[in-house]
Amino acid sequence: MNDMKFWKLIPVMLLVVLSGCKDSLTIDLDNRTVAEGYYDSAQKIEQAVIGGYVDLRRALLANYGWLMYGEARTGDLTVAVSYQQAVASQQLMGADRYVKQLTDWGYFYDVIKDANDVLDIVNNANSDVLNTSQRNLYKGEALALKSAAYFYLARIWGSVPSAEKNNFGQLLTNQEAVTLAATFATEAKGLLPWMLINDDGIESAALTAIRFNKTAITSLLVHEQLWIGNAQNAYDALSTTFTAATTDSLSTFGLSLGVDRRTEIPQTPLSESAVSMPLARLNAIYPSGDSRRTSMFNILTDQNKATLKNSNTDGLELLPVREVNLLFAEAAWRSNRLDEAKTYLVRAAAGATEDYTSLTEATFADALLMERRRMLVGTGQRVFDLIRFGKVSTYIPAFTEGDVQQGAAYWPLSAGSLTGNSLSQNSYWSSKN
Amino acid sequence: MNVYAQDTLKVDSVVSSNRGGVDNILLGNVAGLRVKSWSGTPSVQSTLNLRGLSLDPTDRSTMPLILVDGVPMIASPSDVTGINPLNYYSADQIERIEVIKQIDLLSAYGVQAPNGAINIIMKEGKQGAIHVNGNAFAGANFLPNMDHGKDAFYDFNTMARRDVYGNGGVVNEQNVMVDGAGDFGSYLFGLSNYQDKGYIKDSGFSRQSLFLNAKYNITKKFSAHFYNNLSLANRNGRYAGEFSRELLLPVVNDEGFVMDKNRNVGLLSFMGLTYQFNPAFKAVSTASLSYEAASRDMYLPSTVLDGDIYASSVSAKRQLISLKTYVNYIHKFSDALKMDMSIGNEIRTNDDRITSVNGSRSLENGGSNYVKVVTGYNATQTNAYSDHEIEKIVSFYGTWKWNYKEDLDVNMVLRTDGSSFYQNKWALYPAVGVHYNLKNTLNFPVKVNVAYGKTGILSRPEVYRGQIGGYGDYYGGNELGVGILYPAFQDAKSVGVYQFDAGLSFAVNPALNFSVNYFNKIYKDFTYQRYLPNISGIDYEYETGGSLGLAGVEFNLDGNWIHTRNFSWATNVNLAVYKNKVRELPNDIGNTSLAYLSALTKGDAVTSLVAYEGTQQKVIGNSEAKGFGGVSNTLRYKNISASMTVSYAWGADVAAESFTSTYYADQVNNVFPLKSAETPYYTTSTDATGRTIYQGISNIEKGSFIRLNKAAITYHFGTLLKKAASINDMQLFVRGDNLITLSKYSGINPEENITGVRRRDLIYTGTPLPSSIVLGLKLVL
Repeated sequence: MNDMKFWKLIPVMLLVVLSGCKDSLTIDLDNRTVAEGYYDSAQKIEQAVIGGYVDLRRALLANYGWLMYGEARTGDLTVAVSYQQAVASQQLMGADRYVKQLTDWGYFYDVIKDANDVLDIVNNANSDVLNTSQRNLYKGEALALKSAAYFYLARIWGSVPSAEKNNFGQLLTNQEAVTLAATFATEAKGLLPWMLINDDGIESAALTAIRFNKTAITSLLVHEQLWIGNAQNAYDALSTTFTAATTDSLSTFGLSLGVDRRTEIPQTPLSESAVSMPLARLNAIYPSGDSRRTSMFNILTDQNKATLKNSNTDGLELLPVREVNLLFAEAAWRSNRLDEAKTYLVRAAAGATEDYTSLTEATFADALLMERRRMLVGTGQRVFDLIRFGKVSTYIPAFTEGDVQQGAAYWPLSAGSLTGNSLSQNSYWSSKN
Repeated sequence: MNVYAQDTLKVDSVVSSNRGGVDNILLGNVAGLRVKSWSGTPSVQSTLNLRGLSLDPTDRSTMPLILVDGVPMIASPSDVTGINPLNYYSADQIERIEVIKQIDLLSAYGVQAPNGAINIIMKEGKQGAIHVNGNAFAGANFLPNMDHGKDAFYDFNTMARRDVYGNGGVVNEQNVMVDGAGDFGSYLFGLSNYQDKGYIKDSGFSRQSLFLNAKYNITKKFSAHFYNNLSLANRNGRYAGEFSRELLLPVVNDEGFVMDKNRNVGLLSFMGLTYQFNPAFKAVSTASLSYEAASRDMYLPSTVLDGDIYASSVSAKRQLISLKTYVNYIHKFSDALKMDMSIGNEIRTNDDRITSVNGSRSLENGGSNYVKVVTGYNATQTNAYSDHEIEKIVSFYGTWKWNYKEDLDVNMVLRTDGSSFYQNKWALYPAVGVHYNLKNTLNFPVKVNVAYGKTGILSRPEVYRGQIGGYGDYYGGNELGVGILYPAFQDAKSVGVYQFDAGLSFAVNPALNFSVNYFNKIYKDFTYQRYLPNISGIDYEYETGGSLGLAGVEFNLDGNWIHTRNFSWATNVNLAVYKNKVRELPNDIGNTSLAYLSALTKGDAVTSLVAYEGTQQKVIGNSEAKGFGGVSNTLRYKNISASMTVSYAWGADVAAESFTSTYYADQVNNVFPLKSAETPYYTTSTDATGRTIYQGISNIEKGSFIRLNKAAITYHFGTLLKKAASINDMQLFVRGDNLITLSKYSGINPEENITGVRRRDLIYTGTPLPSSIVLGLKLVL
């Protein structure tokens, strides 16, 4: 064979050598979800937004948290779990691992992380990926989720650390945390629509009921402003947003129920077998003649309890439309508009036996608190209402007013929260250690 | 790439093993190569460690790079079948094995060889038109003086397990090779069949392979090299302690209830082209494919699982494609000074794929007693999984070997590896070594060498990339919510391994050679998880840090005591003494994935066994042997030769978890209850529901041993058959494996625990090691 033929191999060898340099260190991952370059479509960004809702669901549903932080803690509702008794008797520092899990705020901060990630993703997304309405919607939802998470954190644990980039880890007072939440809610309120549009381009009531919408963000903002004492702002927000023209657009907001990768998250959180109200408690709250005894409950006399009629099997209501009039009543009352407040309360409390038209400045608060208790049972707000109305020691007899002043109404911090963030228990819980 | 080995083992000159696998050939024969025979199940790979150290004693990251004729092969056992790829070759195919330990040779392999390299050189055709080699052996496995009370599995299903063990499982091999060589080049092809039934009833391993090694001189200057080895390997198992004993299985007869079929297809194929421009200059290009398809079918009958049936099928494919091209140039500056230079490029692509299905169904739904086919299940009862992982490395390297007056060699290596794993893709691995022979200058037969350089260990792929996970469904199950499980680690990089070598070799006389080598390796920048405060929204992120050290001395002595016409005696003694230590650990280690090292301080061995005593963690032992090695003797008297290899190790501690002292912490008020017959030590773990478990340690003992590993007596018919022209050589041999073990260890095999802990669930603990004796015949026509 002629030696010269070897030279034919040179281009082949060159090709081999050069192909080693070019592109050969980049791998297209065809079956993996990795962060870099993943969010290249509106649908995928929406998945990230929904990730925030799933984490909010985990935060509230894990170990029936929303009730343990609310009606289960006051004894209004009973959850058929081993740790119910510990929570109802305010034994929140015990060794029970479920109670320990309830003291951990990890899932709420997961929501904040998800929301901040979405805000980054939306800010970095090109206009060919997101149109303006999508951009506004996702940004608004992220801000609303973050606002809700901070607000829950502050209401459950009192003062909590910031997870914002500019002051990560800095401890915020309760007032600062809720003020921060209100800032996000205010921005979100300008971005969120009344109704959400489904994949077919049609306004969807089902979708709107489980994603943040104008009604929900307004209610959330009003709650936050009432919490920090800005009743006038709350009143203004309500009266400029909920007008005669928008009445038909109102929507309840709640958690969509579905499968979670973490199997401990209950899929039917309000199921009759799990959640009930003791009959004595029902009789005390809803006097005979109150139509809500039968409209809201199945009374099981033989079992000495009543279970909630779950009108909404797809979701768990957090900010129901029926609360809007109650918020109006509270904002009006707290901004010195008693007559207007009474009107809203009467409008809200359909089915009550009481005559609310004769309420005075002195009696209004108790009446409003009672109606909130009746109408919002199952939404997890009871303890927050007691704190806001200054009635914790009245309804949780385990605590004296002094205990409440020391922080008894808030939950103790978990071991992980204390060590990981250099925090200490409030004076009430540190005295229980 | 040229391979210059530090130690070379001529395979025909050592006693072979009845147990398949290159690891068993190497056992006891190489200074510094620890081959830990931890399991007696046929086709299980021994733990191989050649100056290797890792943070995790359960993974294979200490395994050396395995090459066949300089080509990389997939050598670690498949996770799916556990079949050892080093079983794909019969000892008769192998000419010699080169063991590369020194950094000025290793750096040329960069991130592939942080733990040394083993290069298996295959036999080639010998001069002549045709030769036929045939050999075969057959024999049986047995468990001598089996004391069931010592069996690690004794506390579980004792009587049933005794029935599982049965002496007399056949082990046999047959090989046929045809070879020849001439001006055209050389050829060798052959077939091999190997079978080892072990001693566990209804189980066993078999391997068939077909191989070709051919060199063809296309022109005087241009030659091609083809190599091909195709193996089919099967292992059939049954419940034999491979799985956690905590599978809540009732006692059923003789435990023959778990059917487990493992099937591997292993292929190594390469083609090399060499063009010799002139005596000083050549270009070489080699393309290779190492491929393995592994599949496993498993089923548990309904009689075991309360009427339910479990079945699964997994298949994995691994492929490693490598392309190497280099030019080699030898330049003589003068009669005294020479330089041998190679500059090359290497592209390496790994692609691992896995597909699995598992299903279960209940008898109530009409299932049969055994399920043999997994597919076709009701979708709600079947889980399927498919995944694959690609990794690419592109490398450029240069080696310069300077030689001055035959006395002084200086090796210089520069290699750069680019990995598809990292943002900062390129890493540089330089090394330099000096070798000096004092014979001419001082008239003293001593060679001294010193070298320093760097290699690296690739991080695992999941580290650098970050991951998004599906959290759950939303909105009627139509929408999936996703979020970041952990962020991409932009600063991901390889572990840096810095190695210093120094050694001397002393030729006392032509028949007695003694060498001692010292090495010191420093490992820096391990990658680990840092757990984040619970306000971070993610559990952890990766970071690099920490440093470990490994140092050791290796001795080797080769003596040809007697070499006469009728009698000869040769000995090899090798010994290695190693010590590893923690040099630096990350700050706040309790909040990292290295928290299990938190009881260690600077200077402690990283292989320390750690347990609680009271509320304090303390070091209770070291799972790594202080020293190990082997002694081989070969004696020949006229036509009879005898050889044997003894291996030994000393100083390793074995901690045995108690089978009875296991408690939930909350049930014992968070105080571990002491038992008089056991140690005060315990470890803690957390179960799936978050409850803390205390596990007591019953005893700690030394796993020191000395073992007659391999022994053979051979009768050579050579001279008798000279007249029969058709038979060039014939040998008859009797060979025994694992014949005697001397140890105070209370169990059966002092090396049976991979991690140095005999765990309660027996994970990482092997089955007893069998003995075997075979009778064999070698024929050269």
